[in-house]
Amino acid sequence: MKTSIYLSVVVCALLATAAIAQDKSALAPPTVITPADKATIQTFENQVKDYVDLRNKLKTNAPKLSKDSTPEQIHAYRTALEQSLRSARAGAKRGDLFRPETADYIRRTLKIEFQGKDRAELRDTVFETETQGVVLRVNYPYAQSAEFSEMPATLLTKLPQLPKEVRYRFVGRNMLLVDRESNVIIDYMPDALP
Amino acid sequence: MQRNFLLALLICATLCFPASAQRLNNADVKTAPVKLTLPVKDGSVRFAVIGDTGSGTDKQRDVGSMMAQYRVAFPFEFVLMMGDNMYGGEAPADFEKKFSEPYKALLDNKVKFYASLGNHDQSLQTNYANFNMNGKEYYRFKKGNVAFYALNSNYMDKKQVEWLESELSKDTSEWKVCFFHHPPYSSAKAHGSDPQLREVVEPIFIKYGVNVVLTGHDHVYERIKPQKGIYYFVSGAGGKLRSGDVKETSPITDKSYDRDLHFMLFEVAGDQMYFQAISRTGETIDSGVITRKKNS
Repeated sequence: MKTSIYLSVVVCALLATAAIAQDKSALAPPTVITPADKATIQTFENQVKDYVDLRNKLKTNAPKLSKDSTPEQIHAYRTALEQSLRSARAGAKRGDLFRPETADYIRRTLKIEFQGKDRAELRDTVFETETQGVVLRVNYPYAQSAEFSEMPATLLTKLPQLPKEVRYRFVGRNMLLVDRESNVIIDYMPDALP
Repeated sequence: MQRNFLLALLICATLCFPASAQRLNNADVKTAPVKLTLPVKDGSVRFAVIGDTGSGTDKQRDVGSMMAQYRVAFPFEFVLMMGDNMYGGEAPADFEKKFSEPYKALLDNKVKFYASLGNHDQSLQTNYANFNMNGKEYYRFKKGNVAFYALNSNYMDKKQVEWLESELSKDTSEWKVCFFHHPPYSSAKAHGSDPQLREVVEPIFIKYGVNVVLTGHDHVYERIKPQKGIYYFVSGAGGKLRSGDVKETSPITDKSYDRDLHFMLFEVAGDQMYFQAISRTGETIDSGVITRKKNS
């Protein structure tokens, strides 16, 4: 009798361990950040800061925008900021900010995140956006008539943090870095999503 | 001479016909008489809710007119917008066509609109005076015993999550209402629930006693069965409709409607929050009352 009780307990324990192991394997493993990755993130963040410094300097040349603006004032501000940015960064090209090592780090992060239990849901969130009209071109604005992809909240916590002036955005499998107010594409990396 | 006259007549008829047909369509809308289910108590907080509005269509204008009609019986003070305030372009003329014109009667009567951003909205809408966002993509305001939190569900980054948690943690309001675009729960086929967003915000809502969550994105009306003590609504057909989009057998639906555009009215009086969902033509499609738990 005692033996069978012990046996049952052991079997239950084994089953529970297996269940927990299975559950854990379904979760995305945490991103391991090496010293080299830290340096990469730091370089990327410095570059983003340089961009923000430049755009905030250019912003002073645009018409002032209050919190109680009219549509005309908003339009004038956005147009002026867009033109100033595009002119000041006329030589900008793909990969200036998403340098190979940065792109590699982000791709690895996305790959890990997209392998977890929520992979299908995460992909659904990103791919349901209709972005057909968007032309991927650095230093050109994101098409105003196109919708924006929702950046999955769980993913945003894993990527290098950005200042409020700059946003990550997906267009299909491509990842963009976009100026929040002017919508100018600062940089993009193709095939970012696995 | 006669040929020229006939040609001119034909051109005139071609140009005029679509316009008159449009007017006829509008005039043809059969509207139900205003039938309020809300109690209109003294000192209550009264507001309306609209989502996914910015189409600039005749039907959006119909909703605006119906809201104005209901306001005579139910003088609501402000309107919450669930995002997608502007589809397509955002030139000055678009603001006129997709917002100022459809809600002119309300704006003329000093009704305030508080907007949140959807996936079709440019960030600079935060600076538009009539959206009362004060230049912010996420913000809080209070009316009576109700605190309202407008969130930006397009970009729920760490900063926003920390802000939300910090604000809610010190909020002693009796009612806490969050509104934003993407629904954590939805039974619509087009988009449905947003589990990624839910994973991040729901624990915060539960921890700090959020009572009601209002969203849009899916172009339907849906009242979700309370989830972990929170009441969720999808009100995403203020200007666009996805007819027949709600899954009929969804286990999380309490009530849904996907046959026409709609708007909602709310009244908060003490521990009761009354709601009424109304179709473009004035039919009541849902109504009820939520009672606040004393410990929340």
